[in-house]
Order: sequence, then structure tokens, then C-alpha cells
Amino acid sequence: MTETVLEVRNLKVAFPCAGGVIRAVEGIDLVTKKGECVALVGESGCGKSVTALSIMKLLRTPPSVSRIDKLELDGRDLTHLTDRDMERVRGKDMAIIFQDAMTALNPVMTVGKQIDEVYRRHTKLGKKEAREQTIRALELVGVPEPRSRAKAFPHELSGGMRQRVLIALAFACMPKLIIADEPTTSLDVTIQAQVLDVLKSMQRNHDVSALLITHDLSVVANMADAVYVMYSGKIVGRAPKQQLFMDPLHPYTQGLLASVPRISDGKQAFVQIPDTVPHPMRKPSGCYFHPRCFRASDRCREHMPRLENLENGRQIRCWHPLHQERGA
Amino acid sequence: MSANGKRWSSNPLLEMEGVSVDFPVKRAYPFSKKRWIQAVTDVSLQISEGETFGIVGESGCGKSTLANAMIGMVPPTAGTVRFQGDDLYSLKPKAFRAARRNMQMIFQDPFSSLNPRFTVYDIIKEPMYIRGGASEAVMKDKVLELLQLVGLDEEDLYRYPSDFSGGQRQRIGIARAIILNPKFLVCDEPVSGLDVSVHAQILNLLTEIQKSRNLTYVFISHNLAVVKNICQDMLVMYLGKAMEAGESTAVFANPLHPYTKALLSAILDIDMHRARERILLEGDIPSPIDPPKGCRFWQRCPFAMVGCETIPAELVEVEPGHQVACHLVSGFSEKQKAVGYDRPVSPQPAPEKASAAE
Repeated sequence: MTETVLEVRNLKVAFPCAGGVIRAVEGIDLVTKKGECVALVGESGCGKSVTALSIMKLLRTPPSVSRIDKLELDGRDLTHLTDRDMERVRGKDMAIIFQDAMTALNPVMTVGKQIDEVYRRHTKLGKKEAREQTIRALELVGVPEPRSRAKAFPHELSGGMRQRVLIALAFACMPKLIIADEPTTSLDVTIQAQVLDVLKSMQRNHDVSALLITHDLSVVANMADAVYVMYSGKIVGRAPKQQLFMDPLHPYTQGLLASVPRISDGKQAFVQIPDTVPHPMRKPSGCYFHPRCFRASDRCREHMPRLENLENGRQIRCWHPLHQERGA
Repeated sequence: MSANGKRWSSNPLLEMEGVSVDFPVKRAYPFSKKRWIQAVTDVSLQISEGETFGIVGESGCGKSTLANAMIGMVPPTAGTVRFQGDDLYSLKPKAFRAARRNMQMIFQDPFSSLNPRFTVYDIIKEPMYIRGGASEAVMKDKVLELLQLVGLDEEDLYRYPSDFSGGQRQRIGIARAIILNPKFLVCDEPVSGLDVSVHAQILNLLTEIQKSRNLTYVFISHNLAVVKNICQDMLVMYLGKAMEAGESTAVFANPLHPYTKALLSAILDIDMHRARERILLEGDIPSPIDPPKGCRFWQRCPFAMVGCETIPAELVEVEPGHQVACHLVSGFSEKQKAVGYDRPVSPQPAPEKASAAE
């Protein structure tokens, strides 16, 4: 269980554009253990998806400029792999599930053919065997009548079914790492529950590591083992899931948790984090969160705190974490 | 007939009686049978002044069509809509326009509901401009006042929507909706396109505005947690029909319809220390063209009985201010029981699921 599958060290991504540079990701480290589901949480525009894309090496230069000290997948160094070599890794050793199944699937190809392609490309299977595998893969994710559904085009399937096809596609070769970028955001609540169940059981049963990218903490609560919280291009905290939800240390994490409407609540005003995420070109001085933080001090306005390691693999980037007060 | 608590006996602001909306489906061949999408079927409700009325359901269940019928945008194929006592769809054009002025809408997607070529000022003033009778100076004052109310800056006045984040755009949409001092505001999933951290901001803003201007809201959402927190009355819809209705405290305290229970259990809660009963629904919402003849929900219902397939379930009052349309609750008559209508049927996929879950 302690084997590291994905290790990212000091990933930086920037987008030079008219009027300045957008520093989308500012040096983040991520570690995913075998069979673990790690979530990356943050508001839109905080650099989650850019992180996912650069782990897959799907960002092109230009427009982006990126630097990474280390990118290791299951002991293999991917840092300097060429595009051509990456093509052999993507789909086989790591795969991504995108948010919007309608745009992620090719609209003029049957879904079966799109899954066949993965097998044809990464294994030595022939056409017929590939199709058999495809049907098995569709069955695994709970698509009813997989044989006939394989011949359907994406537009003939419902949103939930399409998302299942994407999951089948990602799990086709049983990769070591699955990146799920907002896998259920566009779905209805009841369908979301179904799709998450499928994703979770696939990940658990086949001992695949997952990096779950989402802004929805309730999804995290149901899926993840450990959570990274990201804000404005930086990791502001990491914690095992239980601890993050029971005992948040960063004021931002606490705010995020409090702002989720809960069914168990009585009627009351919603707790809100004031203001919005800073524009990526006009990030504030010091701690990026200080303009919205209720604990901000002069120190926060001037200096960016370092990411400190705490016990139990927790990390936090804050001058005034919430546990200090309790300890003192 | 409709959920009448004591509160509703007084004059409701808006009343719907047996409203159905059907849309024609384009024929595949010139002489093939004409088919209809039954978007809303036989919905009755009353909304009293100053309250927030929640409509809940999955996408495609007719929530938005129902809301559109409320504010005069989609004429119902059957039934009546009465706003302040007048039958909305039999008003003369002039009176209709006057009534419409009192009802406004906030849309789901703040990206497509604002004209990208209009400045914030143009967008917010437009309803007033169309109504006419206000000078440019008056309009500008009013727009500035509203900008402040919704939490935007004066200097945002001549910016374009593309300069704003989703939450800020939704604020612009809210300002536009309230500029003519409407009485009745339909919020069609106002936060579902936004980040979770911004939800709270927008919801709080809406509640504040409601308090200060004595507005009546219809709040459409698929997020039951939000509905529970802000709505006094609610309606759960499935495939065009009302499944459960009533005061939200009553419905949440004691959800009786299997669909409501499933919706509730599908909410992912972030409370770690509570294990909950989960009802996972099978399959997708069926097509509203040729919906099931009996209870609309029976195909996905884990408790379906033989009779559910053929006999439509009607709303029945189970306690004051709480109605449910379900045969489980209302039961079958002796005659129907004799034919075996109360025997359970499990919809076909259910046994498969049990083995697949192992």
C-alpha cells in the first residue's frame, strides 16, 4: 500500500499573454500511493485542471510554459519523455476522464470503436478480440446490453451512460493511474451517485490509483483517501480525508467546508467566504488568500507562508493555522 | 385538490390548477402519428406572497417548463395559471404585459444569459428601457443603486460580461431581474453553474433581497440541501408529474415517496460521522414522449407493485400540508387488491444489480 505510483515535484505552469504572465500553477508537489484515491480540490481558476493536463503532458508549448523537477509514474521517470513516448504511456499506464463526456468522445465514431482503439493501440489484440474486450469493459462499468450499446454513437447515449463509456475507456488497459477531472459535475444528482459508485468500485477492485480533481467537497467525502487543497496555483494544505473534514486547519479549507449547504442543517444563512478568487494576473502580495481570510495579519499581507509538514502526512501553508490557537 | 395548509387558504399570489404543457414532436414521416412530449402533466400548486417555493427534480422532469408556464412564457395546453387572481393566459395583451412586469426570471447559466456585446449598464437597464418612460439619468441612478445592492462596483458599469467571474455575472443577472421591482421572481437553478464557494454568496444575496423587497421566489433546484434551507414550500417532480408536495419542513422530516427518498440519499453529504440509508436508482429518467401509463416512476422504483404500472398515482394528503402521489402510501382498494395489484414487482434490472454489486 505504501508504494508510490505518482510523484510530482515542483510543477510550474505559466501562460504568457498580452499584458503579463498568468502563473497558473506555482510549484506544486503531489504524491499518490498505490490503490489510493487522492483528491485535488479548489475553486475554478485555481489551476487544478492545468495540473491534470500537465501530468498527462497534454499541454502544448506555446501557449504554456511549464517546468517540472520530477514526474515519476510507478518508478518510471517521465520528466523528459518525448511526445512520441508519451503516446505509449497515455491510455496504457495513465488515463484521464474528462468532465464533459459529449466533447471528450468523438461524435462521428461509435463508442465501441473508440474503446477498441485503445486495445488496438496498446495491446496486440486483433479486431475481434479488441471488440470482445470492449464489450467486457462496458459491462464492467454497468452499461446495459453492452454488445448493442457498443455500436451506438455518443449522442445516442444519455449523460450518465456517456460518462460510463469514458470510465470504460480510461480503465480499458487497467492503467496504474487514473486522473478524473470533474467526472460528475455535469450530471444529475441521482446519476452522479451511480457514476461515482462505478468509478469507486472500478478503482478499488482493480487497485488503481486515482487523482480526483473536483471543486465539490461532497464528492471528495465519498471518494477520496487523502486531499490536497489548492488555491490560486499553490497547494495550501494536504490531509487525510477524515482529518480534513473533521478538523480543518487552514482557514480556506474551513471556509470551503462551511459553505457547503448540508441537508442535516436547520434553516440558517449560508456561511460564505467573501469575495472571489484573485485574478491570476493580479495575485495579491503575501499569502494569496489573505484578502478573503478572517485571520489575516500584517505578516500574511507581506510574506507567503511555506508549506509546513505536520504529523500524519498533513501539510499546511498558513501563518495562523487553526490548531495553533487551540494549542496555545 | 392541492396542498392546502392553513397558510394557503388566503389569497395566493400565484395559483396553478391542473396545468399541463405538451410540446409537439416533429414527425419522422409526413403521415406518421403525431406525438407529444408531455413536459408537465396536471400540476396544481399555490404560492403565497413572500414565500420561497422550491421545485425539485432531475433534469428533464419539467421543472423549467413549469416555471416558464408560471410567468407566461409557455402557454399550457390544459389548466389555468392565475397571478394575483387573474387568469394569466386570458388577459388582454396590455394587461398581460403589465402582469409580466411583476414576474422576472434569473437564469441558470450566467454565461449565456447575458448579451456579450452589451455593457453591464445596458444589460441591467434593458427591462426599464423596454418598459419606457424613464430618462437616461433616472435609469442610470437606478442601475447604480442596484449595482451596489448586488455587490458590484460603480466602475463596473461600462464593463462587458466577459470581464466578470461566474458569480459576478449572476449578480448582474439578479440586478437585471429586480430593476422593475417585480413581485415574483423565478430562480431557475441560479447557483448550479457556479463554484460551491460562491453558492453561499449568491444564496445569501437572494435571501437578503427577498427580505428587503418582500419578493416571492420560485426556486428551481436539484440540490435538496439548498431547497431545505431556503424554501417554505416545495414540490418534487418526476417526468412531468408532482410526486410529493407540501411544506418543506414536513417533506424533509418525513419523506414518503420513494423518489424523494432516493433524491435525498443521492445527495453526497460531507458529514463523515453519519452513515445513511442509500437508495440508488437504476437507470435514467425515461423519455417524456409516451411516458409510463401508471405511476410515472414505477420503472425505476425499488418498491413498485403490479398496479403501479397501470394506475396513475394521484396526490393524496397524508398530513396537513403534505401530499404524496404514491400507491405505497395511499394503498389500493379492496377490489384492486383482489386482482393482485399490491403484489410487488421488481423492475427487471434489480436482480442483476444485486449480483453485480457483489
